[in-house]
Amino acid sequence: MAIPLRDNMLVVKDLRKSFGGVKAVDGVSFDVPRGTITGLIGPNGAGKSTVVNSLSGFHGVDGGSVMFDGTDITNWPSHKVAQRGLIRTFQLARELRSLTVFENMLLASNDQPGQTSWQALFLRKKIRDSERDLLGKAVDLLKRFNLFHVRDEYAGNLSGGQKKLLDLARALMADPRLMLLDEPMAGVNPTLAGQLQEHIRDLKDEKGITFLLIEHNLRIVESLCNHVVVMAEGTILAEGNMSALRENENVVRAYLGG
Amino acid sequence: MLHYLLTLAIFFAFFAVEAWGLNLQFGLTGILDFTYITFVAIGAYFAGVAAMTPSTNGGMGGSYIFGWQLPFPLSPVIGGIAAAMLGVVVGIIGLRRLRSDYLAIVTVSVGQIVWMVIGNATPLFNGWDGIVGVPQPYNSVMNLSTNNYEWPFLGISVIVAAIIFWLVRSLTESPYGRILRAIREDENVAAALGKNVFRYRMSAFVIGAFIAGISGALQIEYIGAWNPSGWTTLETFIVWAAMLVGGRGNNRGMLLGAFLVPVLFTEATRWITIPAHPLLMEAIRGMAIGLLMVLAVRFRPQGVIPERKRVFPLTTIPGLKEDVANGHTAQG
Ligand SMILES: Nc1ncnc2c1ncn2[C@@H]1O[C@H](COP(=O)(O)OP(=O)(O)OP(=O)(O)O)[C@@H](O)[C@H]1O
Ligand SMILES: [Mg+2]
Repeated sequence: MAIPLRDNMLVVKDLRKSFGGVKAVDGVSFDVPRGTITGLIGPNGAGKSTVVNSLSGFHGVDGGSVMFDGTDITNWPSHKVAQRGLIRTFQLARELRSLTVFENMLLASNDQPGQTSWQALFLRKKIRDSERDLLGKAVDLLKRFNLFHVRDEYAGNLSGGQKKLLDLARALMADPRLMLLDEPMAGVNPTLAGQLQEHIRDLKDEKGITFLLIEHNLRIVESLCNHVVVMAEGTILAEGNMSALRENENVVRAYLGG
Repeated sequence: MLHYLLTLAIFFAFFAVEAWGLNLQFGLTGILDFTYITFVAIGAYFAGVAAMTPSTNGGMGGSYIFGWQLPFPLSPVIGGIAAAMLGVVVGIIGLRRLRSDYLAIVTVSVGQIVWMVIGNATPLFNGWDGIVGVPQPYNSVMNLSTNNYEWPFLGISVIVAAIIFWLVRSLTESPYGRILRAIREDENVAAALGKNVFRYRMSAFVIGAFIAGISGALQIEYIGAWNPSGWTTLETFIVWAAMLVGGRGNNRGMLLGAFLVPVLFTEATRWITIPAHPLLMEAIRGMAIGLLMVLAVRFRPQGVIPERKRVFPLTTIPGLKEDVANGHTAQG
């Protein structure tokens, strides 16, 4: 069978991860083509979040390999993965409570002067200038995500949905090339979820960001993703576009129900 | 009376510097260092032997290493560097693991080991008897009596404290400090945003240890002597109390904490004695500090001067001036 040559942002091969006796991810292989929004769906406990944690260096893997934009990043520490431009969000929003919304945003930059102790002491003016530019960028994003009015609030005081939005907005401050979004719309009200959907599409089109999106709302997946990977019990069940997957008996039995 | 107030002012500078270092470690970064006083002591010892004349081994001063007769700004720097180096060792052992309780146990153990080694290895710092006769900075040229020397030493202490305040303030109010606070809140988020958590925790820990060492150096060069009974768990407890009462994360709060706990509660009550029970006052003092800490944690968990909220005025943000002028974004 001829496999069409594609430019892949992420190539995952035979990934394995167990916790004690539980094989959470058991030989998973899939690709994320550059410039696409690839969906990752499957029932609760299928191993989706474990895949994200493995790719982003949050725990070591027991086997397999991860190629990110041509570089083997298997078992890299999470900060190195992030510095490369692979940014993940968390299924349960993890805000930095005693930092304000603005501070959460400013934190995400990795090339701002003043991030080392020496620079903090001796680059005061450069820091002030870069801070101003970053604030400008943060304002744009916060407006997009309906968070501008709470910009000076402690992140710990936001509502659950607002925290999810902040997670996403903060990740974007890091100028990612590939984003792993673990259920970004869970807990966000439908209107805003619809807007988020548009934002993600725009980010793909305008900035060329590639996405791997975990999402249980299949209408959203269908509208955003033309390539969807289905997981169940730690393995890949099927791949394809949503309408093909709806016809797939295995997928219907394991996840879609019927 | 003036003599007494001057002494208190000098001690205030010592303890403020101590509190700033611990605040960098715990207040900002969330590192549980239960042997902070060990870094103070290492700084004191090394600054002391760097400033003293060579040991005559068994003579009046006892036996000790170095004896380099270094002048003032150099001897405390030696003390600070020695404390920082111990910080690197403890950090390598304890900071690799992400769990903070693990480091807490490592610090307690290292503190015990260092204390026992220094007490028993007499050639290092004259063992349990400790070192005495550390020269006061520049007093060999000024030749002042103990009482008259207090003015110049207060000047020295204030200058050192001002430099350390500039240091901790610059670190706190910078992107670096923001990353430390982020790590304190959730190290996984910091890592997901590309921050090397181990490196940051290590650097905050080591700079904090350096500052502790500087404070110890000042103390030995004022008091002139240092021995193991002067740095026990109680001393660590007092700095912790100062930091928690003052307001962790707030460098100004450290000034207040240093004034309230070690100066007011500990040093200013030294003149109160109960002749019939010489040890009773010490015990009462310990209990009073414990009570103060419990009350602070219960009624003002953030401390008397809590960590400041950083607010960014919209007028400093490019492209927003018009919005602000038209009042569109002014509320919230
Ligand atoms: N840190 C961990 N320790 C032990 N077991 C774990 C850990 N993380 C995940 N697991 C187990 O691995 C399996 C897969 O979990 P995972 O969170 O990856 O599922 P998921 O597909 O993201 O599910 P959901 O849709 O509910 O988020 C589950 O059985 C879970 O209990
Ligand atoms: Mg999950």
